[in-house]
Amino acid sequence: MRIRVRRTGGFAGIERSAEVAVTDPELEALAATVLADGDGDVRGVPDGFSYEITVDGRTVRCCDPRLTDAQRTLVTRVLKEGA
Amino acid sequence: MTPQTSAFCSIVPPHLLEHLARSSNPAVAAAARRTLVADAAARTFRVLPLPGAAPTLAPGDAGKPHRTVHDCARGTDLPGTKVRGEGEEAVADATVNRAYAGLGATFDLFLNAYGHDSIDGSGLPLIASVHYDENYGNAFWNGEQMVFGDGDDEIFLDFTLPVDVIGHELAHGFTQYTANLEYFSQSGALNESVSDVFGSLVKQYALDQSAEQADWLIGEGLFHPNVEGTALRSMKAPGTAYDDDVLGKDPQPGHMDDYVRTGRDNGGVHINSGIPNHAFYLVATELGGKAWERAGQIWYDVMTGGTLAPETRFDEFAAATVAATRARYGEGEEIQAVLKAWTAVGVPTD
Repeated sequence: MRIRVRRTGGFAGIERSAEVAVTDPELEALAATVLADGDGDVRGVPDGFSYEITVDGRTVRCCDPRLTDAQRTLVTRVLKEGA
Repeated sequence: MTPQTSAFCSIVPPHLLEHLARSSNPAVAAAARRTLVADAAARTFRVLPLPGAAPTLAPGDAGKPHRTVHDCARGTDLPGTKVRGEGEEAVADATVNRAYAGLGATFDLFLNAYGHDSIDGSGLPLIASVHYDENYGNAFWNGEQMVFGDGDDEIFLDFTLPVDVIGHELAHGFTQYTANLEYFSQSGALNESVSDVFGSLVKQYALDQSAEQADWLIGEGLFHPNVEGTALRSMKAPGTAYDDDVLGKDPQPGHMDDYVRTGRDNGGVHINSGIPNHAFYLVATELGGKAWERAGQIWYDVMTGGTLAPETRFDEFAAATVAATRARYGEGEEIQAVLKAWTAVGVPTD
């Protein structure tokens, strides 16, 4: 499974993205949950981050601060491990 | 990273894509451009919440701030635990005290310079949450309150450090309660610019600086010492705030000739804000003295004048500043400074 996270916006307007190839069942399960839940609340807030999470070619979008726990954990791990 | 978890494959930071798109190798440049075009297709629209009803305050409370600072303790539940209320003693946590002081500095500018009681003009309580999330390199306005991260320990330090960042976030609230500029494309860049303008004025007012003395920087002191840069944005010289191996170069234009068309960042709201930012700087320095007095008054009049539509474009905003200047100052050096500034950044006013 390949997971890509692109984070845009933010106070600085500086974009970050990371992609990881995942074999960890826990992360795979998290990604499956995020995909199944679909797009989050895409109505963002001023200076908030926006995220695109792409799992094996399928993309869901969400924005701070209204992330689900699964979305937040996944974007945090991918941006950290893919950095 | 432990081997049994995940194997890192690739990361292509966006600024590298931008560099690669300009590569002398046509294959490399084409591939990078395809990626950038795909990025641009992924734009997201943001709609701000409608201004809420202002709370009713007890008589005698008008003209006084009502501040509350909360601690998220590195979690994401808002607002978190209340740690300092209005009039309470300073606490041991410097981040809490900086947020409290920054809320006060912003309140002071709006009240003393413009007679505007809090950011909604009706004494709205000012709420800030600090220590949001772990290694969170951002600050934002969620429609109701300000939220500050501690920085990511790599690029950014604590977001409560620069007072103009606090002013910037609260000014998003001011915009929400006044012109309610849509957070996308040119109106979004104006929304961002208004926050930079009033954020910088909060700092200048707090330091009692003239336009000549001010640094006109946004986020000075926010970068981690590893980063090659002085601030996030420069209103005096857009595009010069940072130039770093990892972050790339400050992408802000200061003239319409260099306007950046992009779908990212809500249509480049943090990029093209450099153009109206520079126009404000030019008006303020042309007039001289305290920037919040005449230049700031004109921008304030435009935002509160009721003539701006949510999707206002640069030229419409510029025309509104001309009308507001004539209405308040007549035909004098103020109108000349405003017309000259918009001409200098390539934005028509008629």
